[in-house]
Amino acid sequence: MRAARVMIAAAGVAFGLWGLWLMRDFTREQLTSEAFWLAGGVILHDAVLAPVVVVIGYAGSRLLPGHFRSSTATAFLVWGTLTVAFLPTLSGQGGKAGNDTILGRPYVLSWIVLTLLLVVYAVGAGFLRRRRAATARAT
Amino acid sequence: MRLPTVADIERRIPRPEDFESRARGTALTARVGSALGIAFLICFLTGMWSHFQYSTPGWLTLSPRPTQLYRWTQGLHIISGTAAIPLLLVKLWSVFPRLFIRPPKGARALAVEALERGSIAALMGSAFFMLVSGTLNIIGWYPWEFSFRRTHEAVAWVAIGSLLVHIAVKLPAIRQGLGERVEHPDHDLDPSAPTRRSVLNGAFVASGLAVLLTAGQTVPFLRKVSAFSVRPGDGPQDLPVNRTAAGAGTEKTALDPAWRLEVVVGDRTVSLTRDQLLAMPQSTHRLPIACVEGWSRSATWTGVPVRDIIALAGGSPDADVTVRSLQTKGAFGSSLVVGNVVEDARTMLALELNGETLDIDHGYPARLIAPNRPGVFQTKWVNRMEVT
Repeated sequence: MRAARVMIAAAGVAFGLWGLWLMRDFTREQLTSEAFWLAGGVILHDAVLAPVVVVIGYAGSRLLPGHFRSSTATAFLVWGTLTVAFLPTLSGQGGKAGNDTILGRPYVLSWIVLTLLLVVYAVGAGFLRRRRAATARAT
Repeated sequence: MRLPTVADIERRIPRPEDFESRARGTALTARVGSALGIAFLICFLTGMWSHFQYSTPGWLTLSPRPTQLYRWTQGLHIISGTAAIPLLLVKLWSVFPRLFIRPPKGARALAVEALERGSIAALMGSAFFMLVSGTLNIIGWYPWEFSFRRTHEAVAWVAIGSLLVHIAVKLPAIRQGLGERVEHPDHDLDPSAPTRRSVLNGAFVASGLAVLLTAGQTVPFLRKVSAFSVRPGDGPQDLPVNRTAAGAGTEKTALDPAWRLEVVVGDRTVSLTRDQLLAMPQSTHRLPIACVEGWSRSATWTGVPVRDIIALAGGSPDADVTVRSLQTKGAFGSSLVVGNVVEDARTMLALELNGETLDIDHGYPARLIAPNRPGVFQTKWVNRMEVT
């Protein structure tokens, strides 16, 4: 296994260096912009997104009634990751002047519907779980 | 009041054990990470295949068959990239506490730790970069100074390289994690808390939904389902448009009655009107437009095989042909059709689309359409073909 790990790592380093080699003729302006976008994602995630999610998770575990915790967490996971995935489409940026074949749908409306459906799931699954627990106690 | 010391600040920074969710753990990370690794691998391979279409290496000859190949590879590229977004976020959530592991003592241990963290920083940075630049390219927003195509390619190598290093470093942990039962042994202590199983299922559901809600731009039967697809699929003559005539600066020149197709073979030039092209034997084929942004759609095209036009000017039916456009604005105003694509009778100068005269936004008076070819090379508003 050690030999396999060394070979995989060596291939990885070679691929990475090839990537850097492909940037050899980039201008300083291009490299600065690239570095901004490379570092930006890491900083935004580690310093903003992840701590916010930790705080929300902590708050949820303290404030939500027990039966609703799991379904709310799942709904939040799906909602949060899909919102991030669809952020470019929802941003209102991009598209092409005089071309309505791109970005031609009511995305914000779809996102509101998606959000509502996930709220319905979180609440509904929570009530279902509470009722099941009550029935289990009664029998 | 005294100023806080370094030790005071250190005490305030959380430690990995302060994060209480039992849903985190190697068993979860290894599973989500494996799925993410597969998504990245598909994305990388299909992406490199796409780059080969733009700058073809010497050992590769682009072929017109399989007809739908580029449609599939590029559709898969965008689908696997989209699927990766929820997986990446859940994967990072599952290991976030490890960010707060304190540096080890001893120079050697410290150096190893720094190298490993460096490789993870490179992986995270390049992974975010690929997904963000890719999704912004789909909507056509370029808020940066670099060339999208070249940088997306170069950083892809850094991403896949640092992923391989990460896999090599973590291989024992991955094997251990995949071998373990998913659930935390003590998950019963807090029965109402989210379980690892629920997070794992949530990650796969989110990933699947991200695909279902966008893939309709390339998978026809998902068109109605994909509420978030950037290219819903509508357009003039039932086909989306990437660059309009106005965007290419051809809205006047394309409608000029003096338009002629010039066919240049060596020092011989033949000039053809649209009526002369229409008088030639026409073929009809169903071929897709497949764009690098991941949308694709098949249409029925009618026109004259390029090889017949080249033969008219005395050229060989398998000559390399450069196709030029009236286009004055934007990139890709011409494209090269290699000999074995020209040889295919389905490689046409199209005059009609879905039974109607070509719309100006689809390249009136004449456009190139060829099988298994990225959309940007299906040159529109063609006014010149050259064999040199």
